[in-house]
Amino acid sequence: MIRTIVSIFITLGVILGASVCEICYVNQTFHHFHSILLSLYQKTESGTAAYEDGVAVQTYWREKKKTLHVCLPHTALQEVDYQLDEAVGCLYVKDYDSALPKVEVLLGLSESIPHSYSFNLQNIF
Amino acid sequence: MGLIFIRTTIVFITLFIVMRLMGKRQIGEMQPYELVITLLISELACIPMADNSIPLLYGIIAILTIYLLHQIVCIFDLNFLSAKNILSGSASVVLNKNGIDDTQLKKNNLDVSDLIESLRTEGYFALDAIDYALYEAEGNFSALPKKGYEGMQTSLPVIIVDEGKFDKRNLELTKRDKGYYLDVLRGQGCDELKKVLVMTVDGNGKVYLQQKGQKYKVFHLDWKEKLW
Repeated sequence: MIRTIVSIFITLGVILGASVCEICYVNQTFHHFHSILLSLYQKTESGTAAYEDGVAVQTYWREKKKTLHVCLPHTALQEVDYQLDEAVGCLYVKDYDSALPKVEVLLGLSESIPHSYSFNLQNIF
Repeated sequence: MGLIFIRTTIVFITLFIVMRLMGKRQIGEMQPYELVITLLISELACIPMADNSIPLLYGIIAILTIYLLHQIVCIFDLNFLSAKNILSGSASVVLNKNGIDDTQLKKNNLDVSDLIESLRTEGYFALDAIDYALYEAEGNFSALPKKGYEGMQTSLPVIIVDEGKFDKRNLELTKRDKGYYLDVLRGQGCDELKKVLVMTVDGNGKVYLQQKGQKYKVFHLDWKEKLW
């Protein structure tokens, strides 16, 4: 009986602990990613964004993606990869008109992905 | 992961309630919650294992949730009798000294032919040879035969009337028509066929008759020859 109760609390602790860590990490990472993308968007809009700016965002994303793979489905992250690669490609040829909508999509994804896996009734059902 | 925890819990509870409502027919040598765990755990383990796009942690959290729910159910099952009855159910006595208890049969989504089939599996062919028969909580079937029951099983009984309906194939086997058996029933004080829960007859003409809500009767028909 005592062993069972202890095992219940340990398991509950592991699950709740992992859930809290996941929620905090995902939200924090995407919040930071969103702010980086926002500055890239402003630079692209004003036509001052350089290829290096895009590469910096890409490097940040690739670094964070390694950990995000542990707690988010890989397909959700693939869309960010695709849009980011396209945006960086446009920045390389200084095609700001084409880069802008792609960065905008990335901004949307950085808001929608953590929301899709957040703890709310809509996602439970 | 919190989502996986909640979703797994919801699926577990839903499946568990459905299994309990389905009665003993759906369970075989397992408690309802054990069957639910068996149904869920293989899928939960397989999907993240086979699909690279789903983090392995999703499967692990779901399996841990199942383990947690199992432990909680175990605590209630082992320590609280009233909870045990709700979670695992209790044995259902479907046949007693008065005959078949059709209320208990219906409660477990079973019918008379299921009971007769279970009895035959256990080696008992005549309904009147049994004092008690019950389905255990985990779906197993047990029967307590009468003393010297072997002497009561000299010929295979066949169902003539099953819950108010004639079995045409068995009527042909006995070489008698519906009218003959309706006369027999009238002779036993049964005016309506739908009042008959079960009527069996063996090759010697021994009849087991039980009307709904009444004690069973055993009598012999006046047959000149043994039919099988």
